[in-house]
Amino acid sequence: MPAQVSHQAAGQTANPMPAQVGIGLRAQHHVDVLNGAPRIAWFEAHTENYFADGGAHVRALSAIRERYPLSLHGVGLSLGSTDPIDLAHLKLVRRALERFEPKLVSEHLSWSSVEGRFANDLLPLPYTEEAVRTVSEHVAQAQDFFGRQILIENVSSYLEFSCSRMREWEFLAAVAADSGCGILLDLNNIYVAACNHGFDPLHYLRGIDPKRVKELHLAGHSRVHLGGRELLIDTHGAPVCAAVWDLYRAALGLFGACPTLIEWDTDIPALEVLLTEADKARAIAAQSLTARGNTAQLITGSGGDIAA
Amino acid sequence: MTSLRELQRDFLRAVLEDPASGAALPVKSDCIAAAQRLQVYARNARGNFSSALESSYPVVRRLVGAAYFEQCARDFQREHPSRSGDLQPAGAPFPAYLHALHRGGEYRYLGDVARFEWLVQEALLAADHAPFDLHKLAAVPPGDYDRIEFHLNPALRLFESRYPCLAIWQANTAAEEPPVIDLDSAPHERIAIIHHGELRFHVLSAGEHAFLAALALRMPFADAVEAATAAAATAATAAGDFDAGAVDFDAGAALRRFVAAAAIVDFH
Repeated sequence: MPAQVSHQAAGQTANPMPAQVGIGLRAQHHVDVLNGAPRIAWFEAHTENYFADGGAHVRALSAIRERYPLSLHGVGLSLGSTDPIDLAHLKLVRRALERFEPKLVSEHLSWSSVEGRFANDLLPLPYTEEAVRTVSEHVAQAQDFFGRQILIENVSSYLEFSCSRMREWEFLAAVAADSGCGILLDLNNIYVAACNHGFDPLHYLRGIDPKRVKELHLAGHSRVHLGGRELLIDTHGAPVCAAVWDLYRAALGLFGACPTLIEWDTDIPALEVLLTEADKARAIAAQSLTARGNTAQLITGSGGDIAA
Repeated sequence: MTSLRELQRDFLRAVLEDPASGAALPVKSDCIAAAQRLQVYARNARGNFSSALESSYPVVRRLVGAAYFEQCARDFQREHPSRSGDLQPAGAPFPAYLHALHRGGEYRYLGDVARFEWLVQEALLAADHAPFDLHKLAAVPPGDYDRIEFHLNPALRLFESRYPCLAIWQANTAAEEPPVIDLDSAPHERIAIIHHGELRFHVLSAGEHAFLAALALRMPFADAVEAATAAAATAATAAGDFDAGAVDFDAGAALRRFVAAAAIVDFH
């Protein structure tokens, strides 16, 4: 188990991320966001896309950060790798944190590299004690380096390892408990994994400590047929499906109001499409949280009009 | 039991080299075989790498066509896998790879076009810098000029080629069908690529190129002028032009030009 250093206080600023709906910021939308000032509570950007020393993208994100709360979401730290964590990459992330002052910082429960070679994809881990130790040590190292808590996100998966000794949600919970990180639950990824591996996604949600959940992701997926059966593929390139909206309702019931992101990474549509999805998420949140009796939490955040 | 290290080694080999090689991995399989499941990750890894390369080299892609580019990206990834969690730097060795691949062939200019594209991208991603402060220079006693070290814009890149890469790049970044370009139309192209608010290209003489290259090495002004004068003379001799005017390097004019172009942005 890594040395427990609490970064909870450092990670929670006096002005935390509003428990409202944001959208994933992509370069195609920089101009529309800056010119149109859309009514959205916050944006999330991929950290690696803003590693450059300067240039148009860095300038655009700085300008957007002046107007909206921001979350930085990394894809490249390869926290589950048995290689040492890449110090150069950590330094670039830290520079981005200093430059853009995000309210939330997140990475993935996956690995991408070994022996210095990178697949640059979110590869699955076996759910073993050894893997819990490996990820937890790297998460703790990253948190020490940044001086703040990070959130770890579950990924979609297309295979299971026969050497796994626990379920995915138990693995995620163990990493969070060992490293002190927060949890970013991607509900689409849970749904994709649940369909591909035959478990009930509600078991997943119920297996997570609500106090650890700091952010939710909503996205779309596609379906392929292999060997006579269907496999769901996480594309983050389609509207959120009805089953994932249902899972969102369930998550709000379990975790309460939570920063929620509409994420779209491939075949990126017009900003308007993302804003429409965000409207839908807001309406569902308002409905679900009212039913849960969390109306007070809904209206205390700053930014967009969640009750619309 | 397989260690995590061994599992990751075998898994990555299957993803980057051959999904069939993952047969020994402890992967559950039902009607979907383990190799088919690994294939999903292999496709993602190829697709992500190829997309990154495509966004760095849109002109090369347009020149060779999507299908060839895709195949080329695949072969290149096998030889030069990404070494970072950030895919952007993975394309750095691509110009040299293309150069070696097409040496002497129909696409012999491709490596140079790729190098041009890479330098354009570097300029676009470089740190921004404030323009030159002429008042600061006015305070320097004329006797100290020779020892001044001028600083180039961090978003400046110098380029040299025996092919007309600027014309090829411009024609293939325009929406219209590119015209036929004579590969011998620029027997020695020298360009300063500068991003300063907008992307600009400055065609350089041999002397100007040597002058900026010397400043990039932080050589004092007098030494940079000497290097530029020597380069101008060599180029004139090579061109068979022995006119004294062609050999001269006008340091004052070069300095004025490059300050105005935001190529030179500071000094000490």
